[in-house]
Amino acid sequence: MTGEAIPSPHKGEGKGEGSSTRVYRRPVPAGWWARRSHYFWYIVREFTALPMALWLLWLLIDIRSAAVRPVNFHPQTSIAFVAFSVVCLAFALYHSFTFLSLAGVIIHVKVLDRPVPSRLIVLSQFALWAVASIVIGFVLIWFAR
Amino acid sequence: MSEPAHGPAGGRPHAGKPAYTHLFWWFMFAQGGVIAAILVPVHILLQGVLGPLGVVDTADRHYASWNTLLGNPLVKLYLLVLIAFPFFHFAHRLRYLLVDLGIPSARGTVAQVVFYGAAVAVTLLALAILLTTAPISLG
Amino acid sequence: MAPKKITIQAARFDPEHDERPRMQSYEIPFSDDSMVVLDGLNYIKAHVDGSLSYRWSCRMGICGSCGMMVNGTPKLTCNAFLRDYWPRPVVVEPLNNFPVIRDLVIDMDDFMHKLQSVKPWIIRKEEMPLGAAEHIQTTSQIDDFRQFSQCINCMLCYAACPVYGLNNEFLGPAATALARRYNLDSRDQGLKQRLPVIASSEGIWECSFVGECSVVCPKGVDPAKAIQQTKLDTTMRFVLPYGNRDPEPPRQLEAEEA
Repeated sequence: MTGEAIPSPHKGEGKGEGSSTRVYRRPVPAGWWARRSHYFWYIVREFTALPMALWLLWLLIDIRSAAVRPVNFHPQTSIAFVAFSVVCLAFALYHSFTFLSLAGVIIHVKVLDRPVPSRLIVLSQFALWAVASIVIGFVLIWFAR
Repeated sequence: MSEPAHGPAGGRPHAGKPAYTHLFWWFMFAQGGVIAAILVPVHILLQGVLGPLGVVDTADRHYASWNTLLGNPLVKLYLLVLIAFPFFHFAHRLRYLLVDLGIPSARGTVAQVVFYGAAVAVTLLALAILLTTAPISLG
Repeated sequence: MAPKKITIQAARFDPEHDERPRMQSYEIPFSDDSMVVLDGLNYIKAHVDGSLSYRWSCRMGICGSCGMMVNGTPKLTCNAFLRDYWPRPVVVEPLNNFPVIRDLVIDMDDFMHKLQSVKPWIIRKEEMPLGAAEHIQTTSQIDDFRQFSQCINCMLCYAACPVYGLNNEFLGPAATALARRYNLDSRDQGLKQRLPVIASSEGIWECSFVGECSVVCPKGVDPAKAIQQTKLDTTMRFVLPYGNRDPEPPRQLEAEEA
């Protein structure tokens, strides 16, 4: 009940319905998400969107780089860019693991009147991820000449 | 059973109609999330880390091969999907991240226009870049 | 050997005299390893400070009355063993995200209102007269919604949900789980009546799947799962060409078969 608070949508004390005494509304502290590990990792999970967005914007630049004259074509080699990519990769992997794992919660199918176990659904999502990565990796490497 | 005249929390009865726009943005968020999850990491690994380090040779490090790949219409379509859908996912997620961090106006119409508008802008930008870089050829 | 003691720090709030809640410390005997926090509160009320106010009833985790914050976690105090906290002090506060009426008692009107709004009862297009026939339901059909029917309305999930904390208009975990319990019930035909509430702008779409509600639920209801599945089902209803169709009514037992 201490610390800076996020303003409650119902500022100040209000009356409880049907009563004549006042109620006390406790505001949500601004750092609510830093107080429990589960909330913290939830915020990290949500935050993954930002580094991933930034890296994909770089990919757009990378695509555009094919349009320059051959003499001006310079593929990325800077260590700063690699460091940036490593950070983005960490966030992207965290997104993939959490999102695909949670697919098992949200997808519910019945086969022959029996629910498919969520572990199987999650496994299929990760299998899809693996297959897609292998195919894309293959294309990216095979066409390098 | 008698209905209360107004709800105690906000002073008005609980909202009573499906929010189709919310449904649509959530759908785009879900689609984009799956696509981002299964497609993006390998690109970052190869084109962002191993390629620039010289560990692996990737197509985007050579002028000729990158142009060949980018000239293929299927590749253009793939890249459009790779970029556009995840951006709707990012827009939705980052908007609600602001809500979580204590900015309730992020729930409002202005914020929706800003965030989803940005996703639309990135989609159009990607389309423009893909159509003007490496003319379509099936070579 | 000296008898064990444990300290309970309880939040106090007297609306007539206090500006804001304050903490009061009580040291009580910890005589039995099976003692729960609720036992501690009952001891305080009976022997130390009769003015301490809190809700409780069954003392066995089924009525849902005794939900409070114990060391920052929403718990049923009848289900929180003192031995798990001893020798450290146990901090007991009113359930988060609800207005405090007095001491550890919260105003639950908002939850009751939301619960009512999802019409948590079997809705039939045409009621069958009593004694005419039974609704036949297979075990498999019951399994479809059984988990979501375990909710005891204890509101721990609302205390755990940061979305609800930041936006009191949010429909919330338990109400949505119970809406789903009835929507999945083969006897029910009320999906269309519940949809405007659960799919409203303050309904399922506000949930960002933090998942803490399911972590704290004492009955394993998994309201987070209920909400996510509702999001998917609701979207599919509008996306798929045959969406918005009511489920098949259950087979009616003929009067002669009864």
